[in-house]
Amino acid sequence: MRSATEPTAAANRPAASRLRVRLERWNRKLHYYAGLFLLFFMWLFAVTGLVLNHPTWSFAESWTKRKETNSERAITALGPELRGDLAQAREIMRQLRIEGEILWTTTRMNADQFDFQVRRPGHYYFIKADLALNRVTLRHSKVNLWGVMKVLHVFSGVQLDDPRQSRDWTLTTVWAYSMDAIAAGLIFMVLSSLYMWWELPQKRLLGAVILGLGSLICGLFCIGLRWLF
Amino acid sequence: MRKRFYWLIRDLHLYLGLFSSPFVLLFAISVFFLVHAWLPKIGSETSNTRVVSSLPLPVNLQGLSGRPLIDALKATLEKADVHGEVGFIRHMVKEEKLTIPVTIPGRQTIVTITIASREATIVTRETGLADAMATLHRSPGEHAPAIRMNSFYMQAWRWLADTTAYLILFISLSGIYLWYILRAERRVGFVLLFAGALSFFGLAYALSH
Repeated sequence: MRSATEPTAAANRPAASRLRVRLERWNRKLHYYAGLFLLFFMWLFAVTGLVLNHPTWSFAESWTKRKETNSERAITALGPELRGDLAQAREIMRQLRIEGEILWTTTRMNADQFDFQVRRPGHYYFIKADLALNRVTLRHSKVNLWGVMKVLHVFSGVQLDDPRQSRDWTLTTVWAYSMDAIAAGLIFMVLSSLYMWWELPQKRLLGAVILGLGSLICGLFCIGLRWLF
Repeated sequence: MRKRFYWLIRDLHLYLGLFSSPFVLLFAISVFFLVHAWLPKIGSETSNTRVVSSLPLPVNLQGLSGRPLIDALKATLEKADVHGEVGFIRHMVKEEKLTIPVTIPGRQTIVTITIASREATIVTRETGLADAMATLHRSPGEHAPAIRMNSFYMQAWRWLADTTAYLILFISLSGIYLWYILRAERRVGFVLLFAGALSFFGLAYALSH
């Protein structure tokens, strides 16, 4: 079967420009090329979207099934050149050979007591450092595959409602820009599909009704609820 | 028979895709807001404060918490003309006050009730379209399942968000079928599928190991 399986309006019109025909062909090709490249990413976000919306689904439970290890380790004293929490946290992580995104969850009350968390998909590190004794208590929680997938869905290193958080691990930045690229790819796929649908005159009416219905419902939630209530 | 099946799948792919496309756009556009903790100001952000008195309060207020407290306060919020999904309620025992956050996509309301006087100060903030999209993207979410889904809109939205996810799964599977039928595109398609799988598993492995 050929790539363009259905006669389109442009193909039926002898006067249609070559450019337009080429645009249609490439639009169609790029639509499924993008879909095939993004397939596993889309499946990840669709499945984890469902799982995140249903935290009571027990098969996808990860936190209660975590494996924990506790250890106490000695570290070499942090030099005076390490100013600020971020630099000190990075040095402690380097000594403990831990990699991941640093989370700030506690305010430092005692200058010698430094607590912080490090997270990356599948791993949670809870670090309590005593800088006076140069000792670190490390709790490491490892979660199952569902836990890895759920964290991948939300792993951006920043939070809308917490301006203190910023990305500090290179791989978080790589993943964040990957999510941007996936989102851009999805937007392209939607727009290219709208173009393909519009080029099928016999399907315009029913398609317009269905698209209108979807847009109406979506618009109700984005804008309409504020008007209604 | 095979041809009929092909056209059925193709039509379903088209029409279900058209229905879900506004939802997919909503989820895809809001990714940029959530990934970069950035909310563009689409529409003006306004805030207003009003005071409502003589509010009905549940008799056993002190003994309630969590979802039963939210359910018991529904009549109070109705009287105060505040609608939406109720978040985590703070009960300040010393001050004899209740702070109730209520959300509708694009609007955040904080209701502070002084229990003794049955008076509420209601601060309503219109946060705009971008915030509405980010709120919907994260709703209902995984946190506090015991208190979530306490409004009709959130129940309906969860259903729609689930439907969008199921439709994406169906559309991707039907898309694979429609691509596989096109022999001329198989080779390039397999290369891209492999490249996508390699990128996905490579990134997931690097992040989690």
